[in-house]
Amino acid sequence: MIRALLVIVACTAIASADPEADADAAFRAAGALAAKSDPAAITAFEALGEARPITRWTDDAWAEAARLSENARDYARARRDYRQVVALGTDPRLVARAKGALARIEELGGERWDAVRATHERLASVINGGDDPHDALQALADLVRANPQYPRANLARLTIAMGWEAEGESTSALAWYREGAESAAAEPGQHVRLEYVRALVRAGELDDAERALAALDPALVDQGGARQAAETLATAHRRRAIRYAIAIVIVLLVAGGVIVARREAGGWPAVGKIFARPSTEAWFLAPLAILLALVALPGNPLVARAVRWIGVAGVGTAWLSGALLEAARTRGPLRARRMIVHVVLVIGVVGAAAYLVVDGIGLLGLLEETWRGGPALE
Amino acid sequence: MRIMLLVAPLALVACVKGNPVDLGEFVGEGGTYHVDDCDYDVTTRYGAEMPKPGQPIFGADPTPRLVHLGIMGDPKTSVVAQWRTGDEVTRASQIRFAKGADLAEADLTETREGIEFAYDSTGAVAPRMHQAHLCGLEPGTEYSYQVGGTDITGRTSFSPVYTFHTAPDVVAHPDAEVVFGFVGDSRGGYDVWNMLVSQLESRNPDLILFSGDMVTIGLTQYEWEDFFTRAERLFARVPFVSAHGNHEVNAVNYYAQVAMPGDQENFGFDYGFAHVTVGNDTPDDISKLAGEFKSKIDADMTKSEAARWKLFMHHQPMFSASTRHGPSATLQDAWLSTVDKHHVDLVLNGHDHDYEVSKPMINKLVQASSDNATVFVVAGGAGAELYDNGTDYWTLYSEKTYSAAIINVRRDQMTLSAFRQDGTGIPQGFSKTKP
Repeated sequence: MIRALLVIVACTAIASADPEADADAAFRAAGALAAKSDPAAITAFEALGEARPITRWTDDAWAEAARLSENARDYARARRDYRQVVALGTDPRLVARAKGALARIEELGGERWDAVRATHERLASVINGGDDPHDALQALADLVRANPQYPRANLARLTIAMGWEAEGESTSALAWYREGAESAAAEPGQHVRLEYVRALVRAGELDDAERALAALDPALVDQGGARQAAETLATAHRRRAIRYAIAIVIVLLVAGGVIVARREAGGWPAVGKIFARPSTEAWFLAPLAILLALVALPGNPLVARAVRWIGVAGVGTAWLSGALLEAARTRGPLRARRMIVHVVLVIGVVGAAAYLVVDGIGLLGLLEETWRGGPALE
Repeated sequence: MRIMLLVAPLALVACVKGNPVDLGEFVGEGGTYHVDDCDYDVTTRYGAEMPKPGQPIFGADPTPRLVHLGIMGDPKTSVVAQWRTGDEVTRASQIRFAKGADLAEADLTETREGIEFAYDSTGAVAPRMHQAHLCGLEPGTEYSYQVGGTDITGRTSFSPVYTFHTAPDVVAHPDAEVVFGFVGDSRGGYDVWNMLVSQLESRNPDLILFSGDMVTIGLTQYEWEDFFTRAERLFARVPFVSAHGNHEVNAVNYYAQVAMPGDQENFGFDYGFAHVTVGNDTPDDISKLAGEFKSKIDADMTKSEAARWKLFMHHQPMFSASTRHGPSATLQDAWLSTVDKHHVDLVLNGHDHDYEVSKPMINKLVQASSDNATVFVVAGGAGAELYDNGTDYWTLYSEKTYSAAIINVRRDQMTLSAFRQDGTGIPQGFSKTKP
């Protein structure tokens, strides 16, 4: 009922004695419909645009109708309404915006691609909107395959790739990134190809990323984007090398500890018995780790995950450490030098494990950002 | 006498021309210069020279570059043009202008002298900024201009002619619409930033609101060049205003290159029917957040209480559901009461590299209606590596995407429409009307 009244006000108000005041009221009424996302708003604005005499609101009404039509993906209607703004020519700012919008709409090849573009926009919204994107991803893939000449086909491929990546489907994602990159060889700026490089780095495919980076066209690529991608790749290489080195050190220390324990305990069955039950240190640390994880839970999710996994690594190390000490005690009291070496190695293992956790969940980037840009406000 | 007249300028050139300022010897202690035409002060920070009037001196390459507009006074009647030159030696600093769009060089009949100053940075030599301040302009009017200078021999070097326009007078034109481009966090992803600049360009905004983190490290000058090079085609026609981001690290580069009102950190201005307040949420001393900065923001919002629409832009979001940074309890404690007290309509943030729109909120509680409530928008996707989005009780919409937005402000309605780097529209924006 209210909606009907608003439309009536918008469509008929300009027939009275004060056209400016009535047009003002009609514009407000149409705006109220638009704020409620009511499609009748477009009709109401168009009615005001068509009404005569021309008022100060006439061009504004056409501009609003055009903008709402464009947002509603009715490009033919948007085109017609923007042209009305240009034809009226009463406000240079509105005319400039209308011309810009017409150029933006025509940039994709005009009416030929209106339907494809509307479907692309709708599917992109579904894919990115948080609901299950699988059907939309398939539908967009079909759309791209059916319309390889569509001017935004490469960007649609990128949408599909990012959609699969968000779903954790790395293989499908990289296949679409690659298809987009191959199709976009002549694209100014090389955005799609740079995104392929970035995706490969995120997926840990660093050798492929090197090749994709080398394949960028130096005459076309955005140099700042390429430099940043190269820096990101170099950082990924460096971190991978550190990760491998740390993992090897941890494996060697644990293996060495187990071998020493076997020697001190007098055989594998004895070692197995010692390692089978949690040490006192582990029992002591476990509740503390749980408490820390709970305290961290409401804060930054990355930090919370890191605290959780560092806690797990700490308890595991305490278990192992306690078992090693117990094995050593079977041969008599521990000497100070042995204790010091043990403590240093345990600290080293915990530190190394913490680094692997921080790197593994992506917190290293946040720490680097904090180092560079100062602490984030929590 | 004639010989003296010839020799004196040559001696002056010989004295000043030569090498640019070596950063190893550069000590800028900042300073203030009063712009008479505009009746305001331009103040540079420690690390920059005191601003001074340009001199008719050219270096090896006086070609103007990285031209961008800013505002320091009333945007209805004033604008600031800023630029660098191909060398860091050129001191000539002038603007030519005239009323009208897309005029030819010969039609730029008025000239104003500009100012210049060098500032500390990475690199071998100190970058040198030029500024020209135009005041007393007509509201809602298009002007053509070019910047550059003339040396002592009469040689000239000017930029291409650009067109800008002043903010409308909404008393005379109640139907006036102003359009803001809103974007943030370009750092590193300059291919994306370039695409978003094109998208913004095609939407013809009146003003760009940038929520911070243009570069990864504020002291790194080459990154600023990456940023401004890609934006020049837009920023030479449309003024831009920025909030300080944590990656700008309060570097002198930031304050030297972006002319803005007041102290450039916490300030406000009217544009059309909107009042925009800008805050720095990464001060050099964190205690300022709830102290001095809060007072400045509150004072600005109090002064503009009658504004039809109130926008507040700062970098780090009070409400974000991204899994990277998330909401800031510190900022909520410091500033949320001020936002609620003044019934700010829209808060604009970046920092989390995703796109989020909140439900209408008052004091951390979701409201059924946006009347008197505030909607918080995060659009930190201008190129920096994307972060995972998420949802929380305040989330109306969130998406992991590169993005920018257009804010249309009219007397009775304000809308925000966001789009991705490829121009596709993001379905959820913001719309509000007032009777």
